[in-house]
Amino acid sequence: MQKAEKNLILFLEGILYSYSQVFFSKNKTLAFLLLAVTFFDWIAGISGLIAVIITNIVAEVVGYRRAYVSQGYYGFNSLLVGLGFGMFYQPGPAFFLVLGFAALFTFFLTIWLEGFFAKYGLPYLSWPFLLSIWMITLATRQFTELDISDRGAFLLNEIYRYGGIKMVNLYFWFNDLPIHEAIRTYFKSLAAIFFQYHLLAGILVSIGLLIYSRIAFMLSLLGYFSAYAFYIIIGASITDLNYSYIGFNFVLTAIALGGFFVVSSKYSFLWVILLTPITSIIIVSGNAFLSQLNLPVYSLAFNLVVLLFLYALKFRERNTQKPELVIAQYFSPEQNLYNQKNYQSRFDPTAYLPVYLPVNGDWTITQAHHGEHTHREEWRHAWDFEILDDSGMKFERNGFEIRDYFCFGQAVMAASDGIVQEIIDGIPDNSIGEMNLDNNWGNSIIIKHAERLYSKVSHLKMGSVKVAKGSYVKKGEIIAAVGNSGRSPVPHLHFQIQPDPFVGSKTLDYPIANYILKEKDHCKLLTFAKPGHGQIVSQISKTGTLSKAFHFVPGQTIRFIQYDQDKNESKAIWEVKTDIYNYMYLECQETESLAYFYNDGSVFNFTHFQGDKTSLLYHFYLAAYKVSLGFYPRLRVKDSFPLTAFKTGVQTYLHDFVAPFFSFIKSGYQLDYIGFEDHLNTSRAILESSAWLKIKRRILHRSEYKFEIKDGRFTHFEVKHKNIRLVAREVSE
Amino acid sequence: MEKLRYERPLIKRMEGEMPNKFGSKSENKPLTHIDGVAVKELLSEYGSPLFVLSEKTIRNTFRRAHKAFSMRYPKMQFAWSYKTNYLDAVCSIYHQEGAWAEVVSGFEYDKALSIGVDGKHIIFNGPDKTAEDLEKAIQNDSLIHIDHLDELYTIIELIEKLEKRPRVAIRVNMDTGVYPIWDRFGFNYENGQAWDALNKIMASGKMDLVGLHCHIGTYMLSTKAYGIAAAKLTDLALGLRRRYNHEIKYIDLGGGFPSRNTLKGAYLPALDTSPSFEDFAEAISSALLNAEYPPDSLPLLILETGRALVDEAGFLLGTVISNKRSSTGKRTTIVDIGINLLFTSFWYEHKISPAQEFSSYTEETTMYGPLCMNIDVIRESAMMPLLNKGDHFVIHHVGAYNMTQWMQFITLRPNVVLIDIDGNTHVIRRNETMSEFKNMEHLPEHLKNFEL
Repeated sequence: MQKAEKNLILFLEGILYSYSQVFFSKNKTLAFLLLAVTFFDWIAGISGLIAVIITNIVAEVVGYRRAYVSQGYYGFNSLLVGLGFGMFYQPGPAFFLVLGFAALFTFFLTIWLEGFFAKYGLPYLSWPFLLSIWMITLATRQFTELDISDRGAFLLNEIYRYGGIKMVNLYFWFNDLPIHEAIRTYFKSLAAIFFQYHLLAGILVSIGLLIYSRIAFMLSLLGYFSAYAFYIIIGASITDLNYSYIGFNFVLTAIALGGFFVVSSKYSFLWVILLTPITSIIIVSGNAFLSQLNLPVYSLAFNLVVLLFLYALKFRERNTQKPELVIAQYFSPEQNLYNQKNYQSRFDPTAYLPVYLPVNGDWTITQAHHGEHTHREEWRHAWDFEILDDSGMKFERNGFEIRDYFCFGQAVMAASDGIVQEIIDGIPDNSIGEMNLDNNWGNSIIIKHAERLYSKVSHLKMGSVKVAKGSYVKKGEIIAAVGNSGRSPVPHLHFQIQPDPFVGSKTLDYPIANYILKEKDHCKLLTFAKPGHGQIVSQISKTGTLSKAFHFVPGQTIRFIQYDQDKNESKAIWEVKTDIYNYMYLECQETESLAYFYNDGSVFNFTHFQGDKTSLLYHFYLAAYKVSLGFYPRLRVKDSFPLTAFKTGVQTYLHDFVAPFFSFIKSGYQLDYIGFEDHLNTSRAILESSAWLKIKRRILHRSEYKFEIKDGRFTHFEVKHKNIRLVAREVSE
Repeated sequence: MEKLRYERPLIKRMEGEMPNKFGSKSENKPLTHIDGVAVKELLSEYGSPLFVLSEKTIRNTFRRAHKAFSMRYPKMQFAWSYKTNYLDAVCSIYHQEGAWAEVVSGFEYDKALSIGVDGKHIIFNGPDKTAEDLEKAIQNDSLIHIDHLDELYTIIELIEKLEKRPRVAIRVNMDTGVYPIWDRFGFNYENGQAWDALNKIMASGKMDLVGLHCHIGTYMLSTKAYGIAAAKLTDLALGLRRRYNHEIKYIDLGGGFPSRNTLKGAYLPALDTSPSFEDFAEAISSALLNAEYPPDSLPLLILETGRALVDEAGFLLGTVISNKRSSTGKRTTIVDIGINLLFTSFWYEHKISPAQEFSSYTEETTMYGPLCMNIDVIRESAMMPLLNKGDHFVIHHVGAYNMTQWMQFITLRPNVVLIDIDGNTHVIRRNETMSEFKNMEHLPEHLKNFEL
């Protein structure tokens, strides 16, 4: 595609998304519906469109970030101002002149407020619209060249003019539909967001919401009806809701706090109900204040309540508690919910810095967290490591000497990058059975990895410390040897994570980023887990061919030749790119699909996919969702996908309605390490994986994959999905 | 009751209850059974003399050695040294245990292939590899350990012809602080020959330099030497990384670990002087782990241990032919096993146990073989109980080299029997026959007739 053509498409998208962004959405169907709704009053429609176009052109020409323009970030406030302006005044030269500058003014307000609120990590919502429309309303009262619109007063005349008597009859029939007043007001409130008062407009917006997001649709009902109930309970006039259909404040607040900025759950739903009275207080009090200036409150209540609540949530100490804020914004309550839940199950968000095992090879945990001997009270989150042979013995010969013990003298490594904070050395290694209670911890090293994140290894061999205080160590760097100093009757390694830099510090309940758990006849890959008592664990030791194959470097191009079941040949070309947040992804040249990944050097993860769900990249995403870069015979890796990873159907649509509360669709990923041949200069690994989605026993999706990776290349990648059979091989240079 | 055998009266110095400097007198205990199979029955079934191998001992020793290393170093691989014992059955046991093959001649190479070893798992050592051998090794993608520059040039010539990329390593010799320095094989480390060879290989760009090999000696009683060897090879490996950004995949430290046979002239028995597998593992793994390899790319450690793995599993069973007194009055015993079968008696003082109960009298005895040659002595001087004609005895620790270096001299080679894990016996090499020997010979027509 040409660059100019691409930019034009981005620009058109920017206009379209300016409409859907009013509901925090990037859904094109919703955007088209909303665009259509604004043209219920075609002057308002044109006025809104002009305001968006002007704003986006200015943003583009002056040089604002294209990604933001094309997502409608700057356009939606101007759209609202344009719509309002179009409703109030009749078109004419002065009208368009003022409209243009109103759009410009709104845009600058957007930029200022974006910066202002960004400092607090808060969104600017429709504050620019509010400030702008109020000021313009106040100012234009003096602009005598502008004609006040009287279209609303002569609505039936207008309808007759365009559609004759049939249209008028239709209008009446539609308006007289036997719909309960509460529901009628709900629809009209939705329409009112776009300065429309037609029932049909509201119904269209509502349909658009349903298509965009089931959760947002439910929230719109919840927000509106909890307000309705509240007004009945407190005996306030229901006409308040009716009056200028101010009910949309409740709807927008509900969507924003029930699923968009906050991960939807029963808690977020409860908070939506609890915040209703606050919203209504702001509406009433705001109205009392603004009515002195003859200004409507518009969305003031929504803007204030959302800011208040988000601010309150942001500055909690335990901010992982419910309700949780959305971390990565996918512009859909469903996506936010599914992705965040899935992310939390895969990666521990509290483990902000990965910490690994401090030893290489197979070690047995002889005392885990809450251990029976010494891992108690403040020091309960620690591990003891020893080496046991196949028969469970810790030593050879008779075990009377410390050198008989398998672990004695083994290398101890830095658990993660950091700076050596403290070193204790010079405490002699005990004879077997003796303990040195005067120097409890024995020879120890404390490494600082981050603020309030230190790791400590203890009972080291005297004189084995290889690092100096203050030196920088890399993950896996050998720092000392296992010994038997301190309170240690037999050689072992004590390892703990702690929040303070002191030798006697209390411990921190912190997971190990990844390790291999060895069981009787197979191995498992565990991520962000805590080794348990008696388990045999091993640091992942990279296998050259696997780590090379999955080592994607930005700028690299990966080419595949693929054959489908009919032997048709085609090419797939993926580029490795990084976004501004330094997240890496593969981009398929053909389909523009993106697959985000994360590789910490020992495990490769795909984190997100967007785009064509028939592409080879999509299947690669499913197939290599989580890969241990170390090959272990009979290793099995398991994981789960977010629901949004799969094609949606009726079942997933229905599932969306209950998703905030429970889940009846399960997804799964399994990767098996089948075979490995190492010939030193060349090696070959065979892996098989599968991805599935199912309700109880009903399978909605199942695909199976096979990898053959030779010398760091995907020499064979096989896809089996329904009746699709793809065979691909890498042909990168 | 069986009639007691007559024993000649003997006047002997009293030895008190105190042990002598060689330990207590308990060295001589009858060995009536091997892995539960009676020696007497073995001899009556398979004839005397007879080689017996214990599969159980082979496997146990291998696993003990493997554990000693794998507990200390994450990546290790044994390669069975064919020259130590290349009977198909023995090799196959090691291959079942996971060992690769290490061969030093075209004959051994073919033997390894013939029992099903993949060419990729054969290490080809030795100074005499013919162009045909090398061609075969390149075609089979074996690991070729280059011994001298002429071999390197032959390989380069062959590459052009075969259009294949061979996997090679060089053998390095060095001063590890032990005497004698084995400097006849490979390229010297100290004088720069090793770097010369490495540079030539890297410059050719036509082969994959995958490893570095050395073999510092035999029957090494010092573990330190291995630590030094590992460190010197590591120096080359890290040099290659710096200079060519080339990663060496393995370090092969060869063999040379001692068995439990006592060397001639040793003051103490080998049981007390030979370092254990654990001691060697400790020295080698420390040297490698403490080197500056990035933790992710530690090289594979290959060991070509032969003797220490198999010696103990071999027994040689024989029968007494006669007793004599020498001119000095020393007791001499003539047995049916000579240096033709017990080649290692040239350097070991093999332990010999009678195979039946005997009286507690011992006497310094010279054990002569049956060959009609003066050098045929299997023990110059051993404290032996009195053995009579027809008595059986067992020579210990004969698994290494005897079944490859034995001679067909004035007689034919006997059966070799393997006792498996369940105590069943298998002839793994049957005795040679006259007709087989005659088959190889050809008598020219004009020599066929003679009259005496």
